[in-house]
Amino acid sequence: MALLDWLDERTGIRAATRLMLEEDVPGGARLRYVFGSVLVFLFMQQVVLGILLAFYYSPSATDAWASTAYLNDQVTYGWFLRGLHHHGSSAMVVVVVLHLLQVVFAGAYRKPREVNWWTGLVMGAIVLAFALTGYLLPWDQKGYWATQVATGIMGSVPGGEPLQQFVQGGPEYGNLTLTRFFALHVFVLPIALAGLLGVHLLLFRKHGVTPPDLPEAELQRKTQPFWPNQLFLDVLAMAVCAAVLVGLTVKTHGAELFAPADPASNFVARPEWYFLFLFQLLKYFQGPLQIVATVLLPGAAAVYLFALPFVDRAKSRAVRSRWAVLSGVGLLMAAVTALTAVAIVEDNNNESFQHGVEQAHAEATRARALAREGVPPVGGVAVFDNDPEQKTRNLFKEHCATCHTLEGKGSEEAPTLDGFTSREWLTALVRNPRDRRFYGATKHNTMEPLTTEQASDEELAAVAEYLVSLSGASAAASVDAAMVARGKELWDKKLECSSCHEVEAGKDSTGPTLAGRGSPAWVARIIRDSSQKDLYGDTAEMPKFADKLTQEQIEALAQFVATRKTP
Amino acid sequence: MSSGSGGEPDAGRRGVLKLGIGALGLGLAAVPAVPAIGYLLFPTGSKAGEGAFLPAGKRSAFAGAVPVRVDLYADKVDAWNKTPDVKLGSCWVLERDGALQAFSTVCPHLGCAVDFDAEAQKFKCPCHRSAFGLDGSVEAGPSPRPLDSLEVKEENGLVAIRLVRYRQGVAQKEPV
Repeated sequence: MALLDWLDERTGIRAATRLMLEEDVPGGARLRYVFGSVLVFLFMQQVVLGILLAFYYSPSATDAWASTAYLNDQVTYGWFLRGLHHHGSSAMVVVVVLHLLQVVFAGAYRKPREVNWWTGLVMGAIVLAFALTGYLLPWDQKGYWATQVATGIMGSVPGGEPLQQFVQGGPEYGNLTLTRFFALHVFVLPIALAGLLGVHLLLFRKHGVTPPDLPEAELQRKTQPFWPNQLFLDVLAMAVCAAVLVGLTVKTHGAELFAPADPASNFVARPEWYFLFLFQLLKYFQGPLQIVATVLLPGAAAVYLFALPFVDRAKSRAVRSRWAVLSGVGLLMAAVTALTAVAIVEDNNNESFQHGVEQAHAEATRARALAREGVPPVGGVAVFDNDPEQKTRNLFKEHCATCHTLEGKGSEEAPTLDGFTSREWLTALVRNPRDRRFYGATKHNTMEPLTTEQASDEELAAVAEYLVSLSGASAAASVDAAMVARGKELWDKKLECSSCHEVEAGKDSTGPTLAGRGSPAWVARIIRDSSQKDLYGDTAEMPKFADKLTQEQIEALAQFVATRKTP
Repeated sequence: MSSGSGGEPDAGRRGVLKLGIGALGLGLAAVPAVPAIGYLLFPTGSKAGEGAFLPAGKRSAFAGAVPVRVDLYADKVDAWNKTPDVKLGSCWVLERDGALQAFSTVCPHLGCAVDFDAEAQKFKCPCHRSAFGLDGSVEAGPSPRPLDSLEVKEENGLVAIRLVRYRQGVAQKEPV
């Protein structure tokens, strides 16, 4: 205690504590007074959690998603702290509404507490602004697209475009959008909320709680001190709230994190649940009427709430004398609840939406698994470059697409690789080898077409089956044995293909040997050096990649090309 | 206590309430605070890793006793980013008695980059005047240990060097 005495002598801490805690609660402590305190607790917890998140989060378009994924999936307990922050914002919205309803029910917005009512409403709006700005920060698909809708609405309102550009930091989303949202979310809004909270609490202390509608004498008799009677109830409510939040966070394993924002994708965007009513409202007002849903109706509701102290002309706070005001607010809440419910039901019955959600989750899982090895500095969707197939695609684009076409992209200087050496590809090639799809643009264009007189389509199909059977063990498993036998007979006895093409490995002749043709190992040999005698020999024009690419790269490319055929 | 007798002091009951407030308050603080300890300590204590052999060029580039400065490149993972082909560090490479010897350019004293003074045939640190012989031994200045030698591997005429960073300012050569 000596230390406390020492400190008190110099700071007056005891008097300050007494000033803070000693307050009478006329009519006694009540559970319905707890909401304000619970909001203070939630705000403080959000601040602490927000600061913790800032230890790992990096607000730039290239880093935001990667740092969030790192924080969430790799940092010890990162998922828990982020999840608590995420669910904490939902809890704040819920408790704000409960607080507002309690104040309306008690008539606490009435004279002389109007200013406190207004500061409360502004704080409520700030809580929503927190939610909106925080949603974008992970720069994932959900946050990106949902926020696009919000800023899009801003821009569609008459005169709203400059505001939209200001908030976005220009005409489109990018680094400046993130730094702005970040500054708003972690500096502007918390400072504004803290300032208003100070005013709100001072005014609350000035006027005291709005006691139940009882005779003065009874209120006096039942009076209890704030400390510890009311504060105990407050802390108990905070503990219940915290327990729910922890339970929710553990159950959901934290907050969702979708795949990185991809402006080129078509993501099924939905706002957070507490904005669903606005989302739903927008469905009913289209075209020039959109402003009804985006500005007029929400604006009217806000004006109504702000004007409540003047709308309410009742003589007393008694509930029965204020039925008009109470039913007005009740109607508003009912409308919000109904719209939210309809939005949820519609989405649940919307198959394409459900399918989109499923895809989004699969994409998210894949992106987050790939992010564990580190996201390339380009950031965001570049995480998919970690995918071995994407790496191979990038290699193909860089080294092969200058001559070969794949999936409709690339040049036609060399054979198209879509369906390369599939049955369809082989038969089409034999009928028309000089097509640009095959070898028409290369020096290897001396093969004569096989006409339908030389071999019918049916016979050619058997030959193709035979060639597929030659291409290797994995292909041999999928062939039709009877057709292969027929094809072999045609090859050996009727057709003249064998005058140029050998079918045994190691033998060379004028045309490429067909053993193993189209298998990954064969493609890899082509990539290394296609001018070997049993391959394309003198007609080979393809660069030799044996020295330009690593062994693994060549094998990956070969596997990639060899598996492009449609079954 | 019967309802409504709020005005009377009831020290026992209030004491219990105060205790309850304290206990619940501590619990509330612990919810973010306890995980925050593990969270904030991440990833302290983890080792920088073994260090892989990185390509340093052709063996023929290092003929002769004049030290050659080589930059070593590899993919670098920094928290959430993986950057391909980043310059991770440098080393001095020279031939001694037919074998290659590599020294980290990081001065063991306080981490400045060590230069080679061709005239004096010494490695010299520009910051605190440590000087090292061609064998890496300390010849002058405050460095607590010789230059840190790095492992060299030769294969098919190509040289690879294992880049490791060592703690600065101590006499023992310990990896960071």
